[in-house]
Amino acid sequence: MTSKVARPALSLAVLTAALALPALTGVAHAQGTGTPLKVWTRSVGTQQDAYKAIGKAYQTKTGQAIEFTFASTDFEQRFARAIASGDLPDVVVNDTAQLGNLLSLGVLSQVDRNKVVGNKDIVAAAWKSAQGVDGKYYGVPSSTQVFELYIRKDWRTKLRLPLPRTWDDVSKMALAFTTKDPDGNGKNDTYGMVIPGSTTRGYASWFLSTFIWQAGGDFVQPAANNTFRATLDTPAVATAVKYVRSFICTKTAQPNAINAVTSDTAPSFYTGQAGLYLTGPYQIGTFDKELGKDKYEIVSFPKGPANSDALAEGENSYIMKSSKQQQNALAFASFLASPEGQKIGMTYAADGIVVRLPINGKVNAATVRNDPRWASIQAVYAKNGHTVPNVPNWTPIRLLTGEGFNRILSRCDSNVEQELGTINTALKAELDKQKVLAK
Amino acid sequence: MTAARRRAGRETLVAWLFLIPALLAFAYFKFLPMVEGIQLSFYKVNFGGQNTWVGWDNFRTVVNDPDFRAALVHTLINGVSVAVLSAVIALLVALALQGSRRSVFFVRSAIFLPAITSVAIVAEIFKLLYYPSATGPLNIVLGWFGVPAQPFFSSPDTALGSLVGMQVWKAVPYDAAIFIAGLATISKDLYEAAAIDGASRWHRFLNVTVPGLAPTFTIILTLAIIRGFRVFTEVYATTGGGPAGSTDVVMTRIYKLGFETFDYGLASAASTLMFIVTAVLTAIYLTWSRRKA
Repeated sequence: MTSKVARPALSLAVLTAALALPALTGVAHAQGTGTPLKVWTRSVGTQQDAYKAIGKAYQTKTGQAIEFTFASTDFEQRFARAIASGDLPDVVVNDTAQLGNLLSLGVLSQVDRNKVVGNKDIVAAAWKSAQGVDGKYYGVPSSTQVFELYIRKDWRTKLRLPLPRTWDDVSKMALAFTTKDPDGNGKNDTYGMVIPGSTTRGYASWFLSTFIWQAGGDFVQPAANNTFRATLDTPAVATAVKYVRSFICTKTAQPNAINAVTSDTAPSFYTGQAGLYLTGPYQIGTFDKELGKDKYEIVSFPKGPANSDALAEGENSYIMKSSKQQQNALAFASFLASPEGQKIGMTYAADGIVVRLPINGKVNAATVRNDPRWASIQAVYAKNGHTVPNVPNWTPIRLLTGEGFNRILSRCDSNVEQELGTINTALKAELDKQKVLAK
Repeated sequence: MTAARRRAGRETLVAWLFLIPALLAFAYFKFLPMVEGIQLSFYKVNFGGQNTWVGWDNFRTVVNDPDFRAALVHTLINGVSVAVLSAVIALLVALALQGSRRSVFFVRSAIFLPAITSVAIVAEIFKLLYYPSATGPLNIVLGWFGVPAQPFFSSPDTALGSLVGMQVWKAVPYDAAIFIAGLATISKDLYEAAAIDGASRWHRFLNVTVPGLAPTFTIILTLAIIRGFRVFTEVYATTGGGPAGSTDVVMTRIYKLGFETFDYGLASAASTLMFIVTAVLTAIYLTWSRRKA
């Protein structure tokens, strides 16, 4: 009786335990031939329509069709699967901060800047974010953006608050939004600051970077011979982390901020849960549609203890080394960066903009969109845009600092300096692993 | 005798022939990738070119990683708590719902719903239920009993417990269904005989029901242990392993290694270790339960 039950159970157990082992397979080289050109983008909803429109315009111009694959939060997972099975597309449009990661995977083709049609029109700052630590180019820029503070204007005016001019003003506004019923529904259900504090994809680190720079700190400092020192154990970084933590600990951040990812935070803002959101201009169209243009305003985050720097990032078209259509891939990337491609990406879908700030100097965001807000965003990008340090691979650093910051944010009584020391040690180890730790 | 043996041999052959298609499918989709995964554990995987042999380095890194060790502890706590709590509750539910009355049949179908609801949906529902302010649905209920608003997923102290609660909710109906089936196999004669001998309801439960359910317990706990070790979506869709890594489990760590930092070698080593641990634990449990019975 016992063994009759136990034996099938044992084999069942072993079989099922085997499922615990992910199916990680080896590498084969893709044999993609001829048309159409395969392009992957990280996009959702109407953003996908915008890319399709770009694809159609490209086809009209060149005769080559574009076969798009769209993904959003599971982009990396799908990408990993594609690398493992040797089935990569020709072009991948992805974050500038992913360059090092993609480079370390050995999947990127080097780009000859001079072969990009209209390369002189692409702004220098954008080209810089397509550069590897070796100074060579590994992508063609397609879009940029910068972080600013989105404020519920209707809430602010109802409570008769002036625009914030200091970090302290922002805290006060967050407190007022939390306690003074700015939506006037008689319920205590509104909050101040929207924070994506999750460790997933390193969101906590991504969000905190603006504050760290504004406080005068940084993750790393360049040293001699292309090496870096880990600098998270400074008073400036502690100031920044404590400032962000204060929103969570005074309960003026949205509930569950500590686990929030960006797909949670954007709705927090536009559904009226919270009224202050430091983010990029990805969702202006959605906010216009869901909230209305008159209900919110966009300003630079008030100057911090040291400066007014704001996280600047963007996207590049990366050409895969495995592509059999290197020329065509480069042609498509050039088209996306051209005034024509940029304009379609900016305007085709109002609530799905795939080009936020143009990377092409011939294109003006405000005039193309007929929306003066973009002029100020472009000005902030030019003046205060701060990109992530140019280490070989930023992704592991974003992830490990994201976990560390999440740890600090999750306990109001944690010793910030001590915890930052721990993160700094881990950061040193990672720099060492990337062979760029300053001795 | 020889004829019988020959017939038996032929039956075995037929059985294997029937099994071959399934085995081939398993071999291609499960065992080969598994072997490859184990192989990758010994390499620094380089997608653009040749992989570099690193020996036991990946295993050393995983074993020495404090975050990974913490994740292993969380996985154990989570797995054991979910397995035991849901088995106990499921047994009570099964005892209440056994029999063949029409009303019971309806309740039995209705109560099974959580088991067939997708984990991602359950996670979204619980994020709402666990809304960590006084206006959250569960906090409103707790408020009726004078319990202050709980942070649930948003505090390192309560996140893992909240996660266990969510999984128990989903696992109970599944376990209960197996228990109901198990209860049906216990002969009514045994209960009657015990009753005639003057055994109380409690004694009948202890001396007839529990021994009669021994194989069912084995199946439920074995499945629960395995399920517990592979927990991923439940965590990824709610806390992502936070806050402060308090709900980080082995699978979320492997996911981060494999799909966020693309370190396939390290992720494979972690998976291989996980496979060994699961297999060993399951074997220990089965040996123990076999010896006991």
